[in-house]
Amino acid sequence: MGQRGQLQRTQQRFAYSIMTPIMLYLMLFSLIPMIWAVVLGFFDYSPVRLGSGLFGLGGDNPFVALDNYIAMFGDTQAAHLFRTSLRNTFLFSFLVLPLNLAITLPLAIIIERSHARAKGFFRAVYFLPTVTSAVAVALIWGAIYSPQAGLLSSIIRSVGMTPPKAWLTDPQAIFMGIPIAMIALIVAHLWQDFGYNLVIFIAALQGIPANLREAAMVDGANESQMFWLVTLPLLRPTMLFVCVMTLLSSLQMFILAQVMTGGGPREQTTTILMSIYQNAFRFQNMGWAAAMSFVLFLIIFTFTMIQFRVLKTDWEY
Amino acid sequence: MSPSTTRIVPFGISLGMIARYAVLLIGLSVTLLPFVYVLVSSLKTPAEIIRVQPAFFPKDATLQNYLTIFADPRVPVATFFANSTLVAVGRVLITLFTSSLAGYIFARYEFSGKNLMFGVLMAQIMIPFQMIMIPLYLILVQLQLIDTLWGLILPAMIDAFGIFLMRQFIEGIPRELIDAGRMDGASEFQIYARLILPQLRAPLASLGIFTFMATWNDYLWPLIVITTHEKRTLPLLLTWYSNAHGSRPALTMAASVIVLLPIVLIYILFQRQIVANAATTGFK
Repeated sequence: MGQRGQLQRTQQRFAYSIMTPIMLYLMLFSLIPMIWAVVLGFFDYSPVRLGSGLFGLGGDNPFVALDNYIAMFGDTQAAHLFRTSLRNTFLFSFLVLPLNLAITLPLAIIIERSHARAKGFFRAVYFLPTVTSAVAVALIWGAIYSPQAGLLSSIIRSVGMTPPKAWLTDPQAIFMGIPIAMIALIVAHLWQDFGYNLVIFIAALQGIPANLREAAMVDGANESQMFWLVTLPLLRPTMLFVCVMTLLSSLQMFILAQVMTGGGPREQTTTILMSIYQNAFRFQNMGWAAAMSFVLFLIIFTFTMIQFRVLKTDWEY
Repeated sequence: MSPSTTRIVPFGISLGMIARYAVLLIGLSVTLLPFVYVLVSSLKTPAEIIRVQPAFFPKDATLQNYLTIFADPRVPVATFFANSTLVAVGRVLITLFTSSLAGYIFARYEFSGKNLMFGVLMAQIMIPFQMIMIPLYLILVQLQLIDTLWGLILPAMIDAFGIFLMRQFIEGIPRELIDAGRMDGASEFQIYARLILPQLRAPLASLGIFTFMATWNDYLWPLIVITTHEKRTLPLLLTWYSNAHGSRPALTMAASVIVLLPIVLIYILFQRQIVANAATTGFK
């Protein structure tokens, strides 16, 4: 018995000796930054001013209560840019999500029905863009959208039509109320990202038991009934995951817009994360940026919760 | 359709099947076209690439753009490769070590506070990076790690998802193995290092590949931390180079190919595993 107690003590000591530094690390690099970020949002903080007190919060970096949040509704240039970037981010995300699903779900069903070797091949190729550097993707698509010699304009000219003067830089270029530059970004984003959801859908489709489809077949279900009444309901948990992840990443869109358009033309493609980055690290306006990042956090959190509510299922197959 | 497809499907070709393969092939061309485009564009001469209505394939294919990049004294490609590799390999090794060790502890040890600690860890997954990047930057300033490659590694040493993944896997390893190790008088750490770690080859490989790719392609955090040219990682170099050579798109395309090549090669080598992992773990 004594030996057993000894063994337990050794094990506990080992567990704590590993977990203590890990927990301290998480405190320093996750928990404290999270609290700090929320606190920063209540201050007019800039690292270029020395300030006073803990973390330089105070003195020249005064506590301003909710001023940063109230300012978001104001009539200043910064407030306008904030609201514009928020609108752009929503526009981007709410176009990307349905378009992504409209591409990946049918494609996954087609691939799932192909011969095993074809399946592996197409899946591998379609996944390739997701592993490539987003900066390189942005530069390549930038070249494709290049106004004169770019691939897209060349293709349009070669079928006898006239391409627009510019794809990414003309603020007047608008299609169905959506800036052409935004559409160009969405296309590039979809190209880079679709393989990810595709692969997840294929895996989920493979997990649907064959006897369920056979039963529906026996009952005389046709192809479209099969999809809407059998496949789609069974994909609900996957759909939840895919929607959450897709919305999460598109709400935090940064690289493509930063590199391809720089947020232009006339802030038509400035995303909320670009705005946070610029304010925090270009203008050193970190209190304001922290408040914006908290708003983005709340948006992400809310959408995730809503999707869990809407798409949650209690049953399994 | 090629004749070989008749053999793929035993009951012959239906119209639906032709349509399905047509869709797949269109998707294939759309997916591959940008890759082909960057490659052929990187082989064009400066005069050819800016011509209105240029031919898709270069008339006089040349490696001149690549030679220009490699000969440019302001672009020591080897240095930037070394920076990216150092950060990526550093992050991979540290993440694999901490994830497997903590995953082992969570899977096989009982101690008070365990559930709380696991809860804290899982809560950390919910915090988006954009939320904590400003304080993280301020912490690095205090630690004097701004503009160092360490600054890119330090905030990413613990991966909650990696720990979760390892715990799941280690729970499947029979307890007898650990008990046998104890009987032989191995210390707790030796059990981890000699008995558990060798069993984790598959999940370590998945986690390693994904951490490597994520780090290799990371842009926002290096953009914030790195200020000196020589310390840039490849994605940072790429945007700098593109801005500096705005009037010579062929050079930018060649630089993109140089950056893309290693990751595409890794993908071709580990393709099966990478795709399978994305499908089962939802790893992004």
